[in-house]
Amino acid sequence: MKLRLRVWRQKRCDTEGRFETYEADGLTADMSFLEMLDVVNDRLTKEGKEPIAFDHDCREGICGSCAMAINGEPHGPNEAATTCQIYLRSFRDGDTLTVEPWRARAFPVIKDLVTDRTAFDRVIQAGGFVSVSTGQAPDANAMPIGKVEAEKAFDAAHCIGCGACVAACRNGSAMLFVAAKVSHLGLLPQGQPERAQRVQKMVAAMDAEGFGNCSNQYACEAVCPKEISVDWIARMNRDYALAAAKKL
Amino acid sequence: MSKSSIGRKWIVAVTGILMIGFVFIHMTGNLQMFAGTPDKINQYAHLLKSYPLVLWSFRLGLLATVALHILAALSLAWENRIAKPVAYAVAGSHSRMKVALTSVTMVISGTIILGFVVFHLLHFTAHRVDGSYASMETVVAGVTMPDVYRMVVAGFSQPLISGFYIVAMALLFFHLRHGAASVFQTFGLRDQNLVKVMDAGSWIIAAVLFLGFSAIPVAVLAGILKP
Repeated sequence: MKLRLRVWRQKRCDTEGRFETYEADGLTADMSFLEMLDVVNDRLTKEGKEPIAFDHDCREGICGSCAMAINGEPHGPNEAATTCQIYLRSFRDGDTLTVEPWRARAFPVIKDLVTDRTAFDRVIQAGGFVSVSTGQAPDANAMPIGKVEAEKAFDAAHCIGCGACVAACRNGSAMLFVAAKVSHLGLLPQGQPERAQRVQKMVAAMDAEGFGNCSNQYACEAVCPKEISVDWIARMNRDYALAAAKKL
Repeated sequence: MSKSSIGRKWIVAVTGILMIGFVFIHMTGNLQMFAGTPDKINQYAHLLKSYPLVLWSFRLGLLATVALHILAALSLAWENRIAKPVAYAVAGSHSRMKVALTSVTMVISGTIILGFVVFHLLHFTAHRVDGSYASMETVVAGVTMPDVYRMVVAGFSQPLISGFYIVAMALLFFHLRHGAASVFQTFGLRDQNLVKVMDAGSWIIAAVLFLGFSAIPVAVLAGILKP
């Protein structure tokens, strides 16, 4: 199998980037997208050229590292999949693929396909702590949580923080990420004491990082590899207003 | 709260729903054109203008609502432009990321609707488009009052003016298809069941307003409403 890759190459955050074209051959349909990049990088290294820098870690779809847009789509063409879970059988032999880093002001490019996503870490940090009693390990069922609530909280907690929502959004908005993070603690009893201040602080941090604002177009939900629902955004909008009303 | 992203979204949503409420009342009032007698709408218009204090408080409140809506929406839209400085080189036709045309044209449809509102006020409130409206009067039950019915029929007998009104109402339909659904989302009224209500609701709100308002210029042009 053969593919033509147009890959974004950028030396540093403060230099101009441009697309470079690579012919990738000797591929098989069962290779993952990242394995294909490995093959290309192997060749580039042997030729004494700079390999393509890209983020990757677990390669099993749960860490959220492998951030790149394939033909303008964050994580490529498949539903509910990260880039590492995209296999070459999703493409046709001879296809031209354009590979770009996440595009958003809050995620500046560090090098090639690698973007600085520490803005997400700072939003998480702004959320602060949850109140738990320290000391001996608590009894496993000391705090009963219903099956429905547990599942719901887990739906939100599925978010792996990859940033595809921001990358897909025309406004570079992080609302889906922040909403998922606000909600999964907000649904559980452990998250209640700090619930109001958590949503306010995380939204303030989100605004300060230069993410855009949600305009309810839901491209984020469409590309999310963990299928996080925009219902969480509605819930955060409500939570935020309730928190502000409580303050009055 | 008013400085944060979500706070400003709430301002846009609350002012939006106030304006939807206003246009609904406005439309219901207008539909008295079909009452069979010109007296009905003339008396209604006369009643609205007979308490200047109420009238002007209402007008100023509405003006403030419109201003807040525009300011909050434009400040959000401006930040959104800045937050996405580089677009993808290959983009567009992906079905997964495709967004509704109504949602990306909110500033355009809103601006044209604002232009229409200014024209509409100059037309029927300030009588600047046709000065002869000011002298149209009628006597109902012994009281002299402006003949609103005649003004409307005279105004909409001109196809260009009627056409502009209908186009503006079509844009209001587009604006509310996205706007009304967004109000529900900002208020946090969304889950797997409510989303259907929300989509159908915004469609119905937009369609009823479009049909209700457009009925009058269409009826005048079709000769159903006669002088």
